[in-house]
Amino acid sequence: MTDTQRIRNFCIVAHIDHGKSTLADRLLELTHAVADRDMRAQYLDRMELERERGITIKAQAVRLMHDGYELNLIDTPGHVDFTYEVSRSLQACEGAILLVDAAQGLEAQTLANFHLARDAGLTIVPALNKIDLPAADPGAVAKELADLLGCDPSEILQVSAKTGEGVEELLRAVVERVPPPEGDPSKPLRALIFDSAFDPYRGVIVYVRVAEGELRPRARIRLMASRVETEAEEPGVMAPEATPVDRLGPGEVGYLVTGLKDVHLAKVGDTLTLAGKQGAGEPLPGYREPKPMVWSGLFPAEGGDYPELREALDRLKLSDAALHYEPETSMALGFGFRCGFLGLLHMDIVKERLEREFDLQLIATAPNVEFHVVRGEETVVVHNPAEMPVPGTYDRVEEPVVFATIIAPSDYLGAVLDLCESRRGEQVDMSYLSPERAEVHYVLPLAEIVFDFFDQLKSRTRGYASLDYEPWGYQPADVVRVDVVLHGEPVDAFSSVVHRDKAYVYGKQMVERLKDLIPRQLFDVAIQAAIGSRIVARETVKAKRKDVLAKCYGGDITRKRKLLEEQKKGKARLRRVGRVDVPQEAFIAALRVDEGGAGSKGKK
Amino acid sequence: MSAGLYVHVPFCLTRCGYCDFNAYAGLDHLRSRYVTALVREADLAAPAWDDEDVVSIFLGGGTPTTLEVADLEAVLRHLRDRFPVAPDAEITIEANPDTVDLDRLATIRAAGFDRLSMGAQSFDRTVLAALERVHEPESVRRAFAAARSAGYENVSLDLIYGANGETVDSWERTLEEAVALAPEHVSAYALTIEPATPLGRKVAAGVVPAPDQDLQADMFNAACEVLRDAGYRHYEVSNWAKPGYECRHNLGYWERRPYLGLGAGAHSYRDARRWWNVRPPEEYMSLVEAGTPPVGGEERLDPSDAYLEEVFLRLRILEGIPASWVDDDRADPFLASGLLTLDNDALVPTERGMLLLNELVLALTA
Repeated sequence: MTDTQRIRNFCIVAHIDHGKSTLADRLLELTHAVADRDMRAQYLDRMELERERGITIKAQAVRLMHDGYELNLIDTPGHVDFTYEVSRSLQACEGAILLVDAAQGLEAQTLANFHLARDAGLTIVPALNKIDLPAADPGAVAKELADLLGCDPSEILQVSAKTGEGVEELLRAVVERVPPPEGDPSKPLRALIFDSAFDPYRGVIVYVRVAEGELRPRARIRLMASRVETEAEEPGVMAPEATPVDRLGPGEVGYLVTGLKDVHLAKVGDTLTLAGKQGAGEPLPGYREPKPMVWSGLFPAEGGDYPELREALDRLKLSDAALHYEPETSMALGFGFRCGFLGLLHMDIVKERLEREFDLQLIATAPNVEFHVVRGEETVVVHNPAEMPVPGTYDRVEEPVVFATIIAPSDYLGAVLDLCESRRGEQVDMSYLSPERAEVHYVLPLAEIVFDFFDQLKSRTRGYASLDYEPWGYQPADVVRVDVVLHGEPVDAFSSVVHRDKAYVYGKQMVERLKDLIPRQLFDVAIQAAIGSRIVARETVKAKRKDVLAKCYGGDITRKRKLLEEQKKGKARLRRVGRVDVPQEAFIAALRVDEGGAGSKGKK
Repeated sequence: MSAGLYVHVPFCLTRCGYCDFNAYAGLDHLRSRYVTALVREADLAAPAWDDEDVVSIFLGGGTPTTLEVADLEAVLRHLRDRFPVAPDAEITIEANPDTVDLDRLATIRAAGFDRLSMGAQSFDRTVLAALERVHEPESVRRAFAAARSAGYENVSLDLIYGANGETVDSWERTLEEAVALAPEHVSAYALTIEPATPLGRKVAAGVVPAPDQDLQADMFNAACEVLRDAGYRHYEVSNWAKPGYECRHNLGYWERRPYLGLGAGAHSYRDARRWWNVRPPEEYMSLVEAGTPPVGGEERLDPSDAYLEEVFLRLRILEGIPASWVDDDRADPFLASGLLTLDNDALVPTERGMLLLNELVLALTA
């Protein structure tokens, strides 16, 4: 166990694309944590999906040894969907490198992360990255940053994570400026779980930061919020590959193989202590259940895959405390789950992991936010459009709003304001970071920004604007449920709750899409969008008139029969809604969030 | 049991863009070797078929009339020697209008081919061009007149509808031109795009639009009307005949009677077994020359395969299926919507039902 005076726990916070993962790679190299031959770009982004999308989803912790110091680097996610995970990892640190792109300057997430880090009481080590870029303007950006931090520009380090320039100095500053952790090894064990993972062979693995006491192999331990006891099978550190240790003491960061098999017990944010009388009485502060912002129904395309989907969600939930799900039954799609996500990117990632890692094909219903339906004294929480009561049976509906921070070049300010106004935004304030860059704050309905807002923002500002937002409570909303009715039969999977002004557009878009997706049947199929009993849009799929093999001679009956058998198999894959046969693909395609609409591909 | 013989001639002057039959242009140098192989294959196969009663022989292709008349005659004579061919058997040969003239037709007729199936396809020049057919409408009229002069009393015209650019009007004109010639039999096929053809590739690439199914349905209805008015009986989805002139050979396929196919890629059926020869002519000839049956593949029909065939073929030839084969609640919706009618306790497709035959078959056999 290292003397706590020689431990530094730190993280890197940055706006996305400002070079955090590249800096982490350099730190690994500089401290020889990874043999050169094993080095690969974005070493810490362990998940295949992460490296493809170039974003960091799961926080990771690595022990680096440097000049006799034990430096624990806790990597944090950089997307606005994952603010909760950022705040978890911040609590495992005493310091944070605030990394800013010397060409881009401050961005919305720079500010958001700075505030999070400062609120968590962390020592900030400010650094400019990408100083080797021709477009870099270290002087101006250092001034912006110094203004924000209230420090002298000379305290801001200058690095190029790409070339390695200044990285040594940065590491020295971390050792000098970040305080060592405090904690009494003789007190009862308290350790913060800031991440978890599931290993098919070893069960639940948690990543912990020990606050007080000591964690030793084979100790009986207790997870305080989950109220579950188990054995500390193997404590260890990531160096950066898993390496068992004899004990983890105060201030140390590492992993623990728990022997737990149940996926729901290892909650991120929980406190780990010893079982029985040696255990701590009070957990560490700050644990809260992460709150889903966006909901969607996930259904197996093959109805028989429901048990597999449940199993897969159980597995994912283990390493993704923010994922919520509950069973849901749809008339059209059968058995599935109503799932809650932090945002659309999170939803996309979960869906993609389910499909990729568990080999499932899924249908996701249109994502929606959570509404509060107020009736007298009573408030009903609705996160499934099917549960939205009909108008007239309640006093009002409230929708979630967010406090959004947008930073954009002054030239594009008008475009930004237009966008926010068109999304029912209410301006809070506006200020200039410099003559060229403005910062505006808006309160916006979450439903308005969750889908394509970010892409619109980027396209209207040529990519220069940045966005961050945080939950800001609920406000009354004029929303209605739009149903899609297929040949007289409402299709619950296509229902959505939207603002009254957009109901017509939504309805029209859905019926137009479905017109092209639903194959012609033996009768005319009416596709209607309705608000209550009022039809707002209608299309018709005309009856099919011809479906016959033209030629059947020359003796090759086998081929004709096989064609019919193929057609029969195709029919078996259709889902029947009332009298109408609907292919799986129609559900998938109709419910696909617009290309470029979800705005959730790639880095933000 | 009455059986059919099919002889495949895989040679063509040119390949048409829509055709996915086993046919080749530019292999004419193989013709006499191929004829020898046909004769040899007949020798190999004949002993197993000597208890059948051969009621039809059909020379198809490709373009059988690309062979020398002497060869055609030799093949036919050999089949009559080797197989129990009934004296009144129907003997059909396919012909393209451009490969025949009066002399040739007369000698082919004298050789014993008494039924002529002529690939007219259309009387509209632009449609023929879209189909990449090399002949002119006038050649069809000329060849047809020649056939009559040569003594053919049983002639069929093949027509194709729904090619790119064809309208219902132009199709009706083609039908009327065909009817004016008064053939005994008419086949009218909706153009079907086969992926592995030049036309299929053009459609896939978006160069040529896929046939409009609704337009083809209108054209089918027009064919039904014009041909019915002219005295033809609609006896199979794509076939019409003057009474008594239904193609006995093709009926054999649809009634699931045994048939033996000779030649490259030819198909055969007997006793719940379907098999087919290898397709490439050279491979076919080499196998036959080595004394080996040139079979490329086979399948045994299990009862459910046989049932599906039985249903879809019976529905195609308007014989229908006994109502007792199908639960009432399966058939009733189609009786009610007019896709099926009940005729002597048989479920028979209506004209509208014929156009949706696949749907009927799938629903009735589900």
